[in-house]
Amino acid sequence: MSNILPAMLSHLRITFLGVLAAVILGLPTAAFLIRHDKLRKMLFIIVDAIQTVPSLAMLTFVMLIFGLNDTTVIVAIFLYSLFPVLRNTYVGLASVDKGTIRAGKGIGMTDLQIFSMIRFPLAAPMILTGIRLSIVSALGLATTGVFIGAGGLGMLIWRGIQTRNMGMMMSGAVPVFLLAILFEYVIGLFEKQLNKRQRRSIS
Amino acid sequence: MVHFVNVTMAYGSHIVIDKLNLHVEEGQLVVLIGPSGCGKTTTLQLINRLIKPTEGDILVNRQNIKNVDPVELRRKVGYVIQEIGLFPHMTIKQNIEIVPRLLGWDEERKAARTEELIQLVNLDRKYLKRYPSELSGGQQQRIGLLRALAVEPPIILMDEPFGALDPITRESLQNEIVALQKRLKKTIVFVTHDMDEAIKIADRIVLMKDGKIVQAAASKELLSNPANEFVEQFIGRHRLYSGKADTVADVMSDEIVCAEKTLSLIEAVALMRHKKVPGLFVIDDTKKLQGKVSIEQIRKSELSEQDALETIGIEQICPAFENQSAREVFDRMEAEKIDALPVVDEANTVIGVVTRSSIVRSLAEVVWGNQS
Ligand SMILES: Nc1ncnc2c1ncn2[C@@H]1O[C@H](COP(=O)(O)OP(=O)(O)OP(=O)(O)O)[C@@H](O)[C@H]1O
Ligand SMILES: [Mg+2]
Repeated sequence: MSNILPAMLSHLRITFLGVLAAVILGLPTAAFLIRHDKLRKMLFIIVDAIQTVPSLAMLTFVMLIFGLNDTTVIVAIFLYSLFPVLRNTYVGLASVDKGTIRAGKGIGMTDLQIFSMIRFPLAAPMILTGIRLSIVSALGLATTGVFIGAGGLGMLIWRGIQTRNMGMMMSGAVPVFLLAILFEYVIGLFEKQLNKRQRRSIS
Repeated sequence: MVHFVNVTMAYGSHIVIDKLNLHVEEGQLVVLIGPSGCGKTTTLQLINRLIKPTEGDILVNRQNIKNVDPVELRRKVGYVIQEIGLFPHMTIKQNIEIVPRLLGWDEERKAARTEELIQLVNLDRKYLKRYPSELSGGQQQRIGLLRALAVEPPIILMDEPFGALDPITRESLQNEIVALQKRLKKTIVFVTHDMDEAIKIADRIVLMKDGKIVQAAASKELLSNPANEFVEQFIGRHRLYSGKADTVADVMSDEIVCAEKTLSLIEAVALMRHKKVPGLFVIDDTKKLQGKVSIEQIRKSELSEQDALETIGIEQICPAFENQSAREVFDRMEAEKIDALPVVDEANTVIGVVTRSSIVRSLAEVVWGNQS
């Protein structure tokens, strides 16, 4: 039982680094795409395509470059997370009411101010949704990392299966399950809070 | 202050503004009016560079706005947008203070200004902490107005700012805008669909159609000398005829809403509400004119509901006399933007009321006879 905590921390580390990388790359890219429609369409096709690669195949491809370690899993999570992060951020930013943007422009906001004071805060709930979806699916993906020698809770599950040790199997599976529910709930709560404030004004 | 020189604006091949020449003098309140889609909003947005003209030049403050940084320009030009466009994620206070914030005012100065502004539109302080979605359409519209007025820009563009307001608030804001413009010499370009509103507030009315100006003139000139049939149709019932001058007695109506000075405030308010008027003429027990009180006065006073009307400080007014010429009275009502005047006889006894519409109706009868 003493190895649950280190396995969980390693699991979380892999999950977060992967999603974080997607957020760091995804947010500015989505902001850039608001003004570049052609590029957006192309990029979305690629990101869509990545999304459809089965996870074991993905891990195999990435492994060829990064080897048998955590980095491979992190990169795979990063690639899968691009889709929800990029798409949700883009939709959130692009769907801000035109009248609201025009009002901001009309009172003399710079482009940067329109982004930071209007577009981004209004898109925040959508962006959070993307991040939540990424984290929850990344928690699952991280368990398969064990196949390519990465750490995390997947290790406990795998060893449990190998040794027919139900207890050990559960000591990996239950935390993954609980973490997924926890993130789903907590981030969902934030989204609701933000959404409640921002019900569209009557226009 | 604002000059359009041969300005054309087209979306592709669709010409929206057609070789427009428009001059708005400093300190003038110019009203743009015309059917939907005639280019009013476009004209406003050309002034603050939200839209670029296809051809022609626009000068603001003698500078060609092509050469002015749009952000700088817009901070000097207040804009009340037709869609209201409050920021849904900011509180009312934050919405009102957004331009001061962009200009880097300190907290104290912002708060003081906000306090002044909400008094201007009679908004309860409790709304400051709310979000726009928690306000009615009319309340939101008032906040949109305050946002544009916050830093007292020299030029203010207003796109149907009073569309969603009830008649009493609308009336009081119209007065406020006119007062503001006279007091602070603001230059205002105001868009409306409503001819009554235009007549009430405009120094000059610009009637537009299909991106062109059909007629631009002071309201009296427009009403008495419409340039063509379209203008006539548009001004409709407001049209004035330069016929023979009748006396006030001929044009007055006896449906005057009076209150004795001993009436209690609460009864006075009930009477105004019942008659749907923003003010009352006050008389004594022998029907002698004492002056007038407005709903605003009552609303702002600290007195209790049971206090008599006379304790509030009745405003003296100069009435119309029954044998005065109607034209003279109408000119005065126009100049001073008065909607209704009591009519008295030699003994100062109230015998009726003249309103703008009663004059128009009577003058129309002179021309058409009494068949309508
Ligand atoms: N983004 C746009 N693309 C193409 N045409 C436009 C666009 N915006 C406005 N128009 C057209 O320009 C014309 C003038 O529009 P504008 O908004 O200035 O009218 P308006 O006088 O303000 O009308 P309303 O009283 O309905 O507000 C209309 O025919 C409209 O269809
Ligand atoms: Mg319009």
